[in-house]
Amino acid sequence: MNAMNRTCKDRDRIFEDGSAAEWAALEVHAASCAECAGEIRAWRAISAAAQEMRDYEANPALWARIASALAVQQQEKTRRGKWIWNWLRSLQVLPLTLQTAAAAALVLLLTVSAGLLYRYERGPATAADSHFLKSRALADVQRTESAYVQAIEKLAAETKPQLDQPDTPLLASYKEKLQVLDSAIDDLRTQADMNPSNAHLRYQLLAMYQEKQQTLEEVLEMKQ
Amino acid sequence: MGTVGLALPWQSRISAVQRQRETRVEPSQHLAGSDGEAAASPGGDDAALAAACLAGDLSAYERLYAAHGARMKNLARNLLGTPVDAEDAVQETFLKIQRRIASFRSQSSFSTWVFRILINTCYDARRSRLRKKEHSIEADESEPAMPEPRAPGGHPTLRMALERAVAALTKHQRDVFLLYEVEGFHHAEIASMLEISETASKNTLFQAKRNLRQLLEPPRGPAAGLR
Repeated sequence: MNAMNRTCKDRDRIFEDGSAAEWAALEVHAASCAECAGEIRAWRAISAAAQEMRDYEANPALWARIASALAVQQQEKTRRGKWIWNWLRSLQVLPLTLQTAAAAALVLLLTVSAGLLYRYERGPATAADSHFLKSRALADVQRTESAYVQAIEKLAAETKPQLDQPDTPLLASYKEKLQVLDSAIDDLRTQADMNPSNAHLRYQLLAMYQEKQQTLEEVLEMKQ
Repeated sequence: MGTVGLALPWQSRISAVQRQRETRVEPSQHLAGSDGEAAASPGGDDAALAAACLAGDLSAYERLYAAHGARMKNLARNLLGTPVDAEDAVQETFLKIQRRIASFRSQSSFSTWVFRILINTCYDARRSRLRKKEHSIEADESEPAMPEPRAPGGHPTLRMALERAVAALTKHQRDVFLLYEVEGFHHAEIASMLEISETASKNTLFQAKRNLRQLLEPPRGPAAGLR
């Protein structure tokens, strides 16, 4: 049997991907096989019918429409591309001082942008970082407050002999005032301990300490 | 081969075109007669045309239109159904080519790239039309988009039957059938356009033609036997 002899079994494969030689061999077979002959004709009839779906009738207006749309799009593209260049050229008509100012502003802008970019590259502060910063700020406040309290306590220690035995009504009044202030400070400190990050409480506490400091200073002045 | 009568009902109305395997029409070749000097030949001209388009030369787009415009419109019409939609798709394709020409890397031929954009544009248009239909009360979703009747000529009945049958194919089968049988592209070109293998293109065409044959064959029944 010749290698190019074809049978009905080869038909679908040749229809799908047959070479010219295989098609020729199939046609030779079809001359004596009515079924294959009919299949080949039907197969080719579909291809022939497909030509009916060709309609290359030109519409002269279509190219004009496309050309116009292309021109508009190209102009738009060119206009966008030239915008920065035109802006830079417009700077040339400005006086030298304004040009220098514009250049300085540009340098400043670039510097700020670079700084922002640097910060951005480092990434935003994480929740843990912000918590750390808050804690550190609070620790600073508490340390400063503690030092301030110690300083006031030293001042109080100096005034203690006078206030324990007030020999004038004024000193007795200062003593009462200091007791009221200490009571208020104790209340505020209790609240501040419960809510350490409440800045308002911290300011009130500071005001009380300042008042106490001032009162103690006045007592010391009386002594002198 | 003898001239045995065709089995299909529409056989008598078509010209007996002997389709020769491996002698396919080159892209644009079949247009050369109608558009003469404007038709771009594959290869060097194709690359030159791409380079001219990249340089922003509007006359290059006109040459591209002269070489492929009619076939682009015909393919778009067969995919979208109406000449108006087809012309819109061709125009949109040209605008996309102008916008994306810098991204053309010569890995495929320029014309293949152009037709790939066209096919995608047509499917975008189809999707957009479907979305609009979904919002429309009159929309009949079960009815596939049927091509509008063309200008008189040829075999209208056969053409309509074929168009109806092609519309019933799967998307891939329809694409491959239209590109190969109607527009005359090679399987290698179709593979590049549709980003499939050549083997897949051949197999899809085979399936498409087999389905078309079933769709176009008259129903077999007692009446058919009496004739």
